Amino acid sequence: MIHLQGITKSYTTGAQSLQVLKGVDLRVDAGELVAIMGSSGSGKSTLLNILGLLDAYDGGQYQLDGRDMAGLSERRAAEMRREMLGFVFQSFNLINFKSAAENVSLPLYYQQVPRKERTRRAHELLDRVGLLDWADHLPSQLSGGQKQRVAIARALAAKPRVILADEPTGALDSSTSEDVMVLLKELNAEGMTMVVVTHENEIARACGRTIRLRDGLVETGMDVGA
Amino acid sequence: MWERDSWIEVAHNVLAHPLRTALTGVSVALGIFILVVMQGLGFGLQHGVEQQFADDAVNSIWVEGGRTQMAYRGNQSNRPVKLNNGDIPGLATQADTVPAYSRRIRMWGAEVVWENPDGENQSGNFGLRGVDPAHIELERSNLLSGRFINERDVLESRKVAVVGPNIVEELFRSAEPVGAFVRINGVLFQVVGTFEDPGSRWENRVTYVPFSTAQSLFRSDDSFDQIIYSTGAMTTDATVAQSGRMLGWLKDVKAVHPDDSRGVRVDNNNEEYAMYASIFEGIRLFIWGIGLMTLLAGAVGVANILAIGVKERTKEIGVRKALGATNGSIVSLVVMESTVLMLVSGSLGLMLAVGLLTTVAPMANHEYFQNPQVDHRIALFALMVLVLVGLASGLGPALRAVAIRPVEALRDE
Repeated sequence: MIHLQGITKSYTTGAQSLQVLKGVDLRVDAGELVAIMGSSGSGKSTLLNILGLLDAYDGGQYQLDGRDMAGLSERRAAEMRREMLGFVFQSFNLINFKSAAENVSLPLYYQQVPRKERTRRAHELLDRVGLLDWADHLPSQLSGGQKQRVAIARALAAKPRVILADEPTGALDSSTSEDVMVLLKELNAEGMTMVVVTHENEIARACGRTIRLRDGLVETGMDVGA
Repeated sequence: MWERDSWIEVAHNVLAHPLRTALTGVSVALGIFILVVMQGLGFGLQHGVEQQFADDAVNSIWVEGGRTQMAYRGNQSNRPVKLNNGDIPGLATQADTVPAYSRRIRMWGAEVVWENPDGENQSGNFGLRGVDPAHIELERSNLLSGRFINERDVLESRKVAVVGPNIVEELFRSAEPVGAFVRINGVLFQVVGTFEDPGSRWENRVTYVPFSTAQSLFRSDDSFDQIIYSTGAMTTDATVAQSGRMLGWLKDVKAVHPDDSRGVRVDNNNEEYAMYASIFEGIRLFIWGIGLMTLLAGAVGVANILAIGVKERTKEIGVRKALGATNGSIVSLVVMESTVLMLVSGSLGLMLAVGLLTTVAPMANHEYFQNPQVDHRIALFALMVLVLVGLASGLGPALRAVAIRPVEALRDE
């Protein structure tokens, strides 16, 4: 599903250039639940952004579902994100003036799905994450765990091929973290490919496989068995 | 479907930020309101002045006798100066062209009596003027029925009269005045026409009779009170020179001291009108200046609020991009929002201003302030300026916001 080969990325701030990724090789198969771990500064967020087509890479090859992602135009990248990818963020990033249902249906709006169909599907997904009763609540009226479940429902809305989660439990306490991980594992069990960036060992252990990043490279031989 | 959806999205976003919307809306509405109201007031002033000059022809010079204030050439001061028939050829030599003119004899009160078909006398006290045919143009009166005084009336000193609307109303009521006979200070005249005058009420309480008739009946000599000259299409400067020459000639002939301002008077309407016109041009410019400054202040405020709004939404924009929004869709969303906001609140300010002016207009009836009105072109222009400012001020920050990679927008602090 995801195939990275020798991905490099550097950021230039002022006169200084910082090489964040130094040739990452990575392979995630369809239906896998993979954790990416690494200390801060290891490049894991950058890697996720590249995987999510939110950022361009400098060198190497990125194949998503067998398609080469090199040199995508901004418009094409937006199109690929809409069709292939679902995002879950650490700080949820729900739009605070939209209700839970409206947040969930937003990706469908960008796919030009008719309004009625959007609402129907949003309610279906909120039901799936156990929040149907909260459909009309604003994010400010939801707890952290609920917000993250709404965000997961939103990530699922466009029926993506891969879900990318950036520290999905980073802002949650341990019991709600567990709920969220259970939900993610259930979705994985239904066949969804997932990449979870985390720095928590516990979360990584819940995933099928862990990839460790150190100084912009994948550490070899550290895979935790399924 | 897609179109309708994006409008719903716009409406949703605008209504979701009541404070921001209200702030932007108020500054836009206020800008338009002040501009339009100021323009309306400016028009009110202009109409007032035009009304003042609607009484008499603008292109005219008014010559009048008075009373001396200075002793000169062996004459005591406080001597009345009268114009005579004999002055007319001399005055004409001072004019650039042979001008149309009308002499005028004024009587403040003359009794007018009409015997109605029932044999009852209807009477009233009205003004009387003996004039020449050109008077109707010089005084800017409108003939309502019949005819005005003509050349033959003056040549033959006919006893004919043209009456004003107040006389028709008070004496004749619904009866036909043209053809009727009236007694004016005991002398029988035939009414040959009726007129109205856009000037003061007094102008409409006047009876006009031929100049020669008035002079022979009501004057013991060949004097008269005023003579009005048309200046045709002459330039203001030429008319000023001409009225100066007329004044000089008249003072010399009438033995009035050159520095005596009351002995004889020559008023040049051209000059006065030109002066007022330039004053009001200045006022109009001033009003434009204030209006545009207000609009600019409103526009800057709007641009500021929009810029802050977009900045504050950087994260939201990042999320939208992650969810598959293209840069184009985000820019168009922001621009549509600001434009809708501008249009709605601008129209609101416009309606308020029009409402105010419409309510106030009937009450405003001062001499120099009449009928304030909205210039629709100015209102449209103001609205267009605001929409353009809205587009520009929304576009800049929106472009900057989408240029930020979502990665950075979404990064947690």
